Amino acid sequence: MSNLEKYTKAFTETFEITEEQTNGLKYQDIQAWDSVGHMGLVAAIEDAFDIMLDPDDIVDLSSFEKGIEILKKYNIEM
Amino acid sequence: MTEKIVLQNLDSQQIQEYQQNRYPCFFVDKIVEAVPGEYAKGYKNFTYNEWFFPAHFEDEPNVPGFVQIETLTQVFLMTFLTFPEYKGKKTGFVSVNNAKFRKKIIPGDRLDIIAELDSYRRGLAKGKVKGYIDGELANEVELVVSIPEIMLNFRPNTNKEQ
Repeated sequence: MSNLEKYTKAFTETFEITEEQTNGLKYQDIQAWDSVGHMGLVAAIEDAFDIMLDPDDIVDLSSFEKGIEILKKYNIEM
Repeated sequence: MTEKIVLQNLDSQQIQEYQQNRYPCFFVDKIVEAVPGEYAKGYKNFTYNEWFFPAHFEDEPNVPGFVQIETLTQVFLMTFLTFPEYKGKKTGFVSVNNAKFRKKIIPGDRLDIIAELDSYRRGLAKGKVKGYIDGELANEVELVVSIPEIMLNFRPNTNKEQ
């Protein structure tokens, strides 16, 4: 499974949405991505890539695309 | 290496220092043992003087399901509110899954509870709790509980959610 597939799966499984819905998805665009959902998403991403996100990065992770950018800091390229 | 903290024999007054639940919604008599970040063991004695027995039910008193869930949860809280930095903080349910009620709990029963913390990250605790009466499994549940004050520090910056 590619990094992009793993990253996308974290979104689709956490929020129970389709891959298509992840495009351009932002925090609070859907009901499932609220403050509690955000913690679930962060945990899913951390588990998928075996990393611990910095608190500042967790706060910055405000969209699907932003997350891809943040993960570059952890040497994870999509 | 950090030495493991083991708390033992916390009475009802001491338990209330760790959590904000109070009568008539406080349902733990004793924490026999708790290791922060790992587990908590405790019990609740249900006597006929409980406020809910005369109403549930008059001719067949037994502990309502929501009280059972709350009782299991309050022992679970002791798996992470016992971290010094979280002592006394308010908590909230995120999810209650796979709740099973296997025995009717009646006046005179003592519910022995074992709560295990599977994970605690950034204000979100996940775990499993089981209750026993006379050594037999009486109820169980899987819980996700938050400490909102901690969790909200990690939400993305936006003006939408206050």
